[in-house]
Amino acid sequence: MKLLLIEDEQSLRETIEKYFTEEGSICETCSDRKTAIQKIAVYNYDCILLDIGLPDGDGFSILDYLKSTGRNECVLIISARNSLDDKIKGLNLGADDYITKPFHLAELKARLIAIFRRKSFDSNNTLIYNEIAIDLLGRTVTVNDKIMVLTRKEYDMLLYFIANKGKVVSKNAIAEHLWGDDMDMLDSFDFIYTHIKNLRKKLVELSGKDFFATIYGVGYKFA
Amino acid sequence: MRLSAHYNKASIVISVSVLLISGIVYYLIINHIARQQLDADLSEEVAEVIDYVNQNHHLPRQVDFDEDITTFVKTNVSSFATRFFDTPYNSPREKKAEAGRAVSALIKVNGQPYLVTIVESRENTEYLIQIISAITLALTAVLLCIMVVTNRFVLNGLWKPFYHILQQVKRFNVADTAKIDTVASSVDEFKDLSDAVAKMSSRVTTEYQGLKTFTENASHEMMTPLAVITSKLDMLIQDEKLSPDQFAQITDIYSAAGRLSRLNQSLLLLVKIDNNLLNDTEKLNLKTIILDKAQQFNEMVHNKNITLDYQLVDLEISASRYLVDVLINNLFSNAIRHNKNDGRIEIRLTGNLMCFQNTGDSAPLDQNAIFERFYKGRLSDGTGLGLAIMKNICTLYNFDISYRFNQGMHCFLVKFS
Repeated sequence: MKLLLIEDEQSLRETIEKYFTEEGSICETCSDRKTAIQKIAVYNYDCILLDIGLPDGDGFSILDYLKSTGRNECVLIISARNSLDDKIKGLNLGADDYITKPFHLAELKARLIAIFRRKSFDSNNTLIYNEIAIDLLGRTVTVNDKIMVLTRKEYDMLLYFIANKGKVVSKNAIAEHLWGDDMDMLDSFDFIYTHIKNLRKKLVELSGKDFFATIYGVGYKFA
Repeated sequence: MRLSAHYNKASIVISVSVLLISGIVYYLIINHIARQQLDADLSEEVAEVIDYVNQNHHLPRQVDFDEDITTFVKTNVSSFATRFFDTPYNSPREKKAEAGRAVSALIKVNGQPYLVTIVESRENTEYLIQIISAITLALTAVLLCIMVVTNRFVLNGLWKPFYHILQQVKRFNVADTAKIDTVASSVDEFKDLSDAVAKMSSRVTTEYQGLKTFTENASHEMMTPLAVITSKLDMLIQDEKLSPDQFAQITDIYSAAGRLSRLNQSLLLLVKIDNNLLNDTEKLNLKTIILDKAQQFNEMVHNKNITLDYQLVDLEISASRYLVDVLINNLFSNAIRHNKNDGRIEIRLTGNLMCFQNTGDSAPLDQNAIFERFYKGRLSDGTGLGLAIMKNICTLYNFDISYRFNQGMHCFLVKFS
């Protein structure tokens, strides 16, 4: 996957770049609107991560540019403003999703992969990870051709972990993903534990393999 | 008492007393002048009698003095000072006593002293005085009427701009962006007042807006550094060489950053509610929303083994879906969070009332303080803004939210208008 990150905050840009650069993925970065347009004009990208608040004009103009040139990149807007108007404006201008700062890198990646999948696998709606096959339309999961029955939260979590495979994902990030940040429940970590335990058990039963690793009370790693 | 009534009272008291005093003075002066006039007439008549006696050397006959009654009495007094006095006057024609004025003087007819007394009727002057008094009274009455009417209509009209300004000041709300309109008045004071009030209100509104914009900007500006912290932490935990102790510290930083972020979002939400920025009002069925939320909170309810009990009727309200969502969300999460294990939650929706009751701490909360920003219970680990947000949402839609402690249950009651 080829990715362009347009973000003016240097440390945030570096962190995101590092997180997204892995085998099979390239992440290019730029910090202002002008360079961004130059890059977009020359290269093709699969996805664009766009910060709306740029020093030389708002990021909406980049959406305008993409729309006017008939480009089909997936665009995920990053914004410091949790504003419904901005969100609607962005989505109307052709963005695929909208994420508000502060966010967890795992969440950013899961969202980006979700929109990328939606756009690129129109014909094939099956996501395969090792012996796990997920039918994204029917929301059914098979492991070694055996159907695995999952609750909604377990299914969401599985997709989330596959998107962040090989990364340590913090419990805070998982909690926010599953319940949203307005759900502000402190004991939600207990629920994560329960959900992960169940998912883990189901996967072990069908594949004989433990995909999850617990990282010292801070989070989990799926590999 | 209104100003015009005060003014009416003062002006009536003053003008009535001035008119009464001047009436009395007027009466006395006219009386005095009339009496002098009568006395002058009488002196003239005495002089005429003396002239007559000097010429004719005998007393004049009664008929020579038209209406006046003249009597001559022989006397031995050799000297007598002429004196004037009031006496009844018996009109020869009308046969009745009237007020009269008399003069007594000493004349000598052929060396014989006579005391002559001439009585003149005062009827005419009395009549004049009565007419004058009547006119004065009538004038007083007319003046009073005119004053009352003037005060009522003219003065009230004059004060109208003042009351208009007053009404606007009463209705003034800092959060409202509607301006106080200046009043057109021919009275300089009112124009000044109106201008001053308009200027003051616009300054207050601007400063308040400025403060809110500041809060909003400050909260937004904090989001980027928070994003940096969160993402750096996300990166940091990828390093599996860290010690368990370091991971524990990272967990603490995570939760602090999470709290800061929630606090910021709550502040922003408060600003948005205050600014009425979420005006996507639509018709909402509360019953459906409550049942949806109950589904979402299901896990938390089961985890604490809480019994959830509803009595819901269909109730439609007009409000922003997002805000009602926040309201129900906060009610639910408070009822669960501050509950005890094996506790109870009762939700009632009847008529225009919504009630969330839950078991929990056995002591009631401080009714006056709980809706204040950053008020927190002893054991609360929330942002301290949840109830303030609920209160603001209710205020925005004129709902009435209150807290009661009833038989060990904490009850939050929302009354829809």
